[in-house]
Amino acid sequence: MKTKKAPLTPEQRWKMTRRRFLIGTGSLGVLAVGGYFGINEGRPAMVDAIEKSGASRGGKMPAPNLWFELKPDNSMVFYAPKFEMGQGIHSALAQIAAEELEVDWKQLTVRQADSSKGFDPNIMFTGGSTSVQDLFTPLRTAAATMREMLRLEAAKQLSVGANEIVALRGECFARQDMSKKLSYGQIVAAKQTEWEIPKTAPNLKARKAFTSIGLNAPRVDVRAKLLGQAVYGYDARVPDMLYGAVARPPRYGATLKNASAGDASNQPGVKQVVIDLKANFAGVVADTRTRAREALKFLNLEWDGGTSMGQAEIEQLVTARDGIGVVIKKRGNTDANILTGTQVSGEYRTPFAAHAHLEPLNAMAHVQATKIELWVPTQSTSSDIRGVQDMVGGEKREIVVYPMQMGGSFGRKGAQSAALEAVRLSNAVGKPVHVGWTREEDIQHGFFRPPSHTKLRGSLSSDGRINALDQVTASGDILFSVIPIPEPIKNLIGFDFGVLSGLFSPYDIANYRVRSHRVKLPIPTGTWRGLGIFPNTFALESFMDEMAFAAKTDPLDFRLKHVPNTEDGTRLKRVLEDVKTRSDWATPPESGRARGVAFSSLGKTLVAQVAEVSIFENRIVVHRVTVSIDAGLVVNPANAALQAKGSVVMGLSSTLLEKLTVKDGMVEQANFKAYPLLTLKQTPPRIDVNFLEGGDTPYGMGEPAIGPIGAAVANAVFALTQKRIRDLPLEL
Amino acid sequence: MLKLEINQRSWDVPDFQADEMLVWVLRDTLGLTGTRFGCGVGVCGSCNVLINGVPTRSCQTPTADAVGKKIITLEGLAKGTGENIKLHPVQAAFLENPLQCCWCMSGHIMNAVALLEQNPNPNAPQIDSAMNENYCRCGGYNTIRKNVTRAAEIAGGRS
Ligand code: FES
Ligand code: FES
Repeated sequence: MKTKKAPLTPEQRWKMTRRRFLIGTGSLGVLAVGGYFGINEGRPAMVDAIEKSGASRGGKMPAPNLWFELKPDNSMVFYAPKFEMGQGIHSALAQIAAEELEVDWKQLTVRQADSSKGFDPNIMFTGGSTSVQDLFTPLRTAAATMREMLRLEAAKQLSVGANEIVALRGECFARQDMSKKLSYGQIVAAKQTEWEIPKTAPNLKARKAFTSIGLNAPRVDVRAKLLGQAVYGYDARVPDMLYGAVARPPRYGATLKNASAGDASNQPGVKQVVIDLKANFAGVVADTRTRAREALKFLNLEWDGGTSMGQAEIEQLVTARDGIGVVIKKRGNTDANILTGTQVSGEYRTPFAAHAHLEPLNAMAHVQATKIELWVPTQSTSSDIRGVQDMVGGEKREIVVYPMQMGGSFGRKGAQSAALEAVRLSNAVGKPVHVGWTREEDIQHGFFRPPSHTKLRGSLSSDGRINALDQVTASGDILFSVIPIPEPIKNLIGFDFGVLSGLFSPYDIANYRVRSHRVKLPIPTGTWRGLGIFPNTFALESFMDEMAFAAKTDPLDFRLKHVPNTEDGTRLKRVLEDVKTRSDWATPPESGRARGVAFSSLGKTLVAQVAEVSIFENRIVVHRVTVSIDAGLVVNPANAALQAKGSVVMGLSSTLLEKLTVKDGMVEQANFKAYPLLTLKQTPPRIDVNFLEGGDTPYGMGEPAIGPIGAAVANAVFALTQKRIRDLPLEL
Repeated sequence: MLKLEINQRSWDVPDFQADEMLVWVLRDTLGLTGTRFGCGVGVCGSCNVLINGVPTRSCQTPTADAVGKKIITLEGLAKGTGENIKLHPVQAAFLENPLQCCWCMSGHIMNAVALLEQNPNPNAPQIDSAMNENYCRCGGYNTIRKNVTRAAEIAGGRS
């Protein structure tokens, strides 16, 4: 029988944490403090699963995931375990650390941690809007511990009691005599004996005492980017490097039956042709990228098999029907109530989409006798490393991963196949090789946001309330494509965890059932910003409007009418009311325009949006989007607002334009001419974001605001035209 | 050897790269990676550089075509070096209000620099027209709109 463990007392907890501190053995006169700090309990299980999937080769003592260095000249470096892809994470982490270190955040230089700094690459993962929420407490604890060590040492050096010492702006003062002071650097320089970790847990500041968290601190990475000095993955350069290009199959799943170098080896600049039939690999290494790509055309390749599937067949497979799917939520009795009162139904479809981060996939590798170095823009170094180990027997060699700046990612750079290609080519040629994908490769040979289809039925009772809601969703794989669970078990589970994002209606509905059906397609699909939240919210919140219309109620009031009487309900009500006020919902828009509202949540973050649209030359024009967000405590409001606005623009691009179609086993669109993205002129000049700050801890911000925009626009179009569009992208 | 004039300096490029697109010569051969690659088909604008003052897709420009012309890249906008570096007004505006991943930024900056050369005080529709041809996947379009106006202010000595 299982017995429930008693929760740890704060003392026990500190004892455990304390053991995980590492004090630097670095160069002389430097205080280096690091450690492995646990993650929040509130962390989404799915992210855990991804991370754990790479953590199988861990040693005994966990390597650090946070690391500070303080030098005698009072300069301070923070090695950030999270990757920068434009979300401003290095700045946010610096602000959080500075708060408890009692330094000006400007005093901290933030560097990307890499495995050469003792970091275990297996723990480095950035995604799922988790960085700030996961590190908020561990980072403050580590910083506060370091501050305490400095304070205690200052007390000794100044010969006053520890309670007499105040740490402020990088200095320790004697409370009674402010002229008695030492900078952190001076304390470190004068230190003679071993550092000691405090016996008791350091106090963490209360929210009202924050001076750094909550500031719009400027981004730490932008200056170098403006000067052309920042090094993204595609910019990586080392002496003696060569360039690689790799042959692509004509259909997904096709295998190389025969391959030979043909005339490729004789092409100018070509150093080596690398063919590995078992790995379905044929590539060229040359002295320039262009020459490597050109030489590919001269390989003799015979591809075999693969899928010949087309769009119609895919849509037929990805169809939600009665009688399929696993029940993942059940409240009341839906079957007994769904055919009563006023009945409403609708089916919604979201197509394949590309990530289209502007920096295409790329990686550089240098395979050496005892070590393998990888320069890679990645959201998960563990997946790179696992692949490398499997490919070239990396266990015997040290693998050093340098995570690079990313030119966007949106879920795509979590499984970075370019890294493995670079390793394979470098292994063959014995020199560093950079593989940079073309846009065509990036669109056609990546993985996609899976197509999804949702069937909804609802019944309204005579008081205009929803009595029952029946929801069936069919979707291609999202997380199943990255979580290493055997196929039969996936089938047994029957639905992909990634579909859960934004899947459930937040409203008070007595009889509610949700079924989800996994469709394993022969087309590669996977994680895309917010996972299921974009397609799910489009369906659910469009349907909410359809029911409001049937109930002859204002769509925003209809939602308010269905707010549950719970703590979450109170938060939901607050964002809905805020968006109502700030979008001027009660005042009609100028003639020829209409507004639509939608809501979604991801983790604990809640987002409501109102879109104001018109139609011009038979095209939907979005003039204004009002966004109200409860993301808990916001560490850097300016950066968080950029995340929200960027999510709206990316979601709008999917709402109005983006659709990939498959023909004969291959995505038809290869570049932006056939797959255009939203442009500046199509972007509403007004996207207003308001944060409703709640609670003392931050929730995720990178993805949630992408949820509501599809439905908000579709609902506005309905309000304007009385025409309900149920397929994305919206076509009039 | 081909001779290119980039950022007021002369650079040598091997003859065999005459037909190669300028974006790769800048980035890979010369190490001027501030110019970005995004699509290679002239749509996204990440690769824009100024050629004789005109924003030009370097992914559509054979290197030989740039010989004898004045090329300006992101690296050539700021004046001075090290501590004394002085950002171009457009860079200064983007430092105040950054984009997100900034991969697209060099291209937008080139458009803005060219626009402000021609028209030191563009209005909103003029900004929209001049800046519309470049993508920003992170969705920073309103920041870009704002920054062009802000750069005009900085250039005009208004703070
Ligand atoms: S890379 Fe030249 S326009 Fe996109
Ligand atoms: S900031 Fe990322 S593409 Fe523009």
